[in-house]
Amino acid sequence: MKIIACYSNKGGVGKTATSVNLAYISAMSGYRTLLCDLDPQGASGFYFRVKPSKKLPHNTFFDDVGKLVSAIRASDYEKLDLLPANLTYRDFDIFLSRMKNKRSRLKKALKAVDSDYQVIILDCPPNISLLSENVFKAADKIVVPVIPSTLSVRTLAQLHTFFKDNNYQVKKILPFFSMVQQSKKLHRETMVALQKEYKSLLEDYIPFSTDVEKMGVHRAPVLTYAGKDQASIAYRTIWSDIEKKAKIKK
Amino acid sequence: MEPFVYFLPSTLSLRKLRQHLPLEPHYQVILEQGEMQGAELLDTFDNGLFQAARLLFQVDRQLLLLDLQTGQLFEQAAPAGRPAIGDMAKGPVVDMLLEVSRLRSLLPVVGIRMRRDEGRVLDDEGKTLVRFYHLTIGRGRRKFMGMGCAQYLRGYSEAYSDLWQWLENCGAMACQNAGDIYSGLGIALRQYCVKPELELLPQTPVKESVTAILGTFLKIGRQNEQGVIADIDTEFLHDYRVCFRKVRSVLSLCTGVFDAKDSARLKEHLAAIMRTTNGLRDLDVYLLNRAEYYRLVPPSAHAGLQILFDSFAQKRKGEQKKVSSAMQSKGYLRSMENLEKIFAVSDNIKSGPQAEVSSLTFARRLILKRYRKVCKTGRDLDETTPDQVIHQLRIHCKKLRYLMEFFAPLFPSGEIKKLIRSLKLLQDNLGNFNDYSVQQQFLEKMLASDIASGTKAMVVAHSIGALTAMLHQLQGHERKQIIENLAGFDSLDIRDSFKELFLTEEGADEDNSLLQ
Ligand SMILES: Nc1ncnc2c1ncn2[C@@H]1O[C@H](COP(=O)(O)OP(=O)(O)OP(=O)(O)O)[C@@H](O)[C@H]1O
Ligand SMILES: [Mg+2]
Repeated sequence: MKIIACYSNKGGVGKTATSVNLAYISAMSGYRTLLCDLDPQGASGFYFRVKPSKKLPHNTFFDDVGKLVSAIRASDYEKLDLLPANLTYRDFDIFLSRMKNKRSRLKKALKAVDSDYQVIILDCPPNISLLSENVFKAADKIVVPVIPSTLSVRTLAQLHTFFKDNNYQVKKILPFFSMVQQSKKLHRETMVALQKEYKSLLEDYIPFSTDVEKMGVHRAPVLTYAGKDQASIAYRTIWSDIEKKAKIKK
Repeated sequence: MEPFVYFLPSTLSLRKLRQHLPLEPHYQVILEQGEMQGAELLDTFDNGLFQAARLLFQVDRQLLLLDLQTGQLFEQAAPAGRPAIGDMAKGPVVDMLLEVSRLRSLLPVVGIRMRRDEGRVLDDEGKTLVRFYHLTIGRGRRKFMGMGCAQYLRGYSEAYSDLWQWLENCGAMACQNAGDIYSGLGIALRQYCVKPELELLPQTPVKESVTAILGTFLKIGRQNEQGVIADIDTEFLHDYRVCFRKVRSVLSLCTGVFDAKDSARLKEHLAAIMRTTNGLRDLDVYLLNRAEYYRLVPPSAHAGLQILFDSFAQKRKGEQKKVSSAMQSKGYLRSMENLEKIFAVSDNIKSGPQAEVSSLTFARRLILKRYRKVCKTGRDLDETTPDQVIHQLRIHCKKLRYLMEFFAPLFPSGEIKKLIRSLKLLQDNLGNFNDYSVQQQFLEKMLASDIASGTKAMVVAHSIGALTAMLHQLQGHERKQIIENLAGFDSLDIRDSFKELFLTEEGADEDNSLLQ
């Protein structure tokens, strides 16, 4: 089982769009896949029409493995399941801070479904918190969408610093460009600059695409209704890149 | 959660299903109807799919397999003609078929009409909560019936049990074997089993039991004639020969039951019938193992093998014709009718001195005697034993196996099955050993024959040489296995079991040979 987190400490960069589409591609490639919606907003679930789970007590996710497993829902696509958002995720940090081994709780909890899935994709909320530290520990790879703008570049640098300062494995981080508009000079220049700085940057990028924006209307992965869109094609390339780098096997 | 595989004696319509929908929670049911098409239900001659609870349909040029245990549907393009399953293109359907048989081909059972519908139950946001498919099947003037399967989707058990309930309210019943469907369609199952369960009683005079065994195997053997004549698959001739060999073995093993002269005459007659089929069976065996031969020899020898196998295939055509016309000849049919008459009742053959002995006593004596022979021959086996002795051992084992199987109904089934299993292990090695030497001899003969002459002679000689060397090596390996397995078969534990089952009350282990 490989765990791929989709993470950025910046909001609105395309984490959820990426999680949803990568999870779909992973399942279509034949991997039994679980998409975990760790964001209390429940956006991933929304795209799959899966309703958030009922409000469960805090300890559910991290202590009561049975409850975690029973919250899993089948998506409408073969081999793809979802762990919907839980409204109580909001207070995770307070809860986690009181626990022993507070940074490895997620890893331990996901072990419960180790035999059920070959790939787990985590859609994360945008902050650095105890929950995200759990993600850093649990994930085999952390894909980070970066909009090629000054602000995003700064947050990527912050993330690297945080990893180094706290002894997390920097090589887990796989950044890639998201919502790229080639018409914008700033985007083009930023991309060139960053490619020199971050060797781990994925080769392909996700262009800005109105088809991706429409995911909210279709409530389905963009690949299901616009498979030939440039963004769909890019998601596929990015997935096979991740597949290799994370050594995902059947 | 288990899928709900169901059988429905009537048709299913969306209207009918909707009638059973509750108001709360709000469900939406979608049923995408397929097209009504002519189709065929297929199975092997020995009902292999039926036994495995699988239904196979050919609709148009498509194969559709339904596994009643899991409710899963598999699809694959249908092959041209009716090849053996092992020769069909690999795919999801063929994978399932291979679990049933490699050598059999598929025969139509009945023509039907069928339609395939796909259903879904959605919630108020359009999320699928449970899926099902439904097949509507009809035959001739009979009314249509249906079958299908509802698949549970993780996390949506409520909708799943609701759908289950609605389907049951429509008349659906859980279905785990193909019997429901067959009787629903009014299909009579073909009665064919190459290993029948005989009913024998311990106290019956052995002549009666033996005659019953003879009659049964003759009948089963003859069931294969049409398949051999039409050349449907190689299993027909295989089963045919198994049955006739058994008839012959019964006659030669059960000495004293029938008059010696009558018995000898019958045996010779059966041997003559078997002989006509030897050539065809040998070629079948070569051709069936074609891939194995290619794997064994170096690629440089493949060209030679190609020539060899082409000539086998050519020869086979001739042999098949020969066998086929022999089986349809007046003489053959007359002699079969005659045999059937003879084996119909025990009075039709003259009795031998043992005829009135009880079946149990007779069987015990014979089996124990043969077991001793196996052990005695086996004890002296080592690396240097001539092949001839190993062949002798193989024949003793085969005879022992036949005896144990013929008379198995007279003994507690668990124990005799255990002994047969341990014997089978040994027989498998002996069989391989024999195959290797038969193959080597045959190749030698081929080398001397005309296909090895002419411009391609060198290529052929090369491949045959390589093959022979390989077979020789494998045979040596098999010999080691035989010695190992013999030790197990001649062990205290097995010896005790044999004594317990087959030693007669009088304690008649006269020469005490079992204890040596
Ligand atoms: N490649 C793209 N082209 C155009 N629009 C996009 C693209 N990717 C995402 N979007 C849109 O941008 C918005 C934010 O995307 P998304 O929700 O995936 O980001 P996020 O990082 O998960 O946000 P949050 O931090 O709030 O969780 C959404 O409306 C989405 O439809
Ligand atoms: Mg998001």
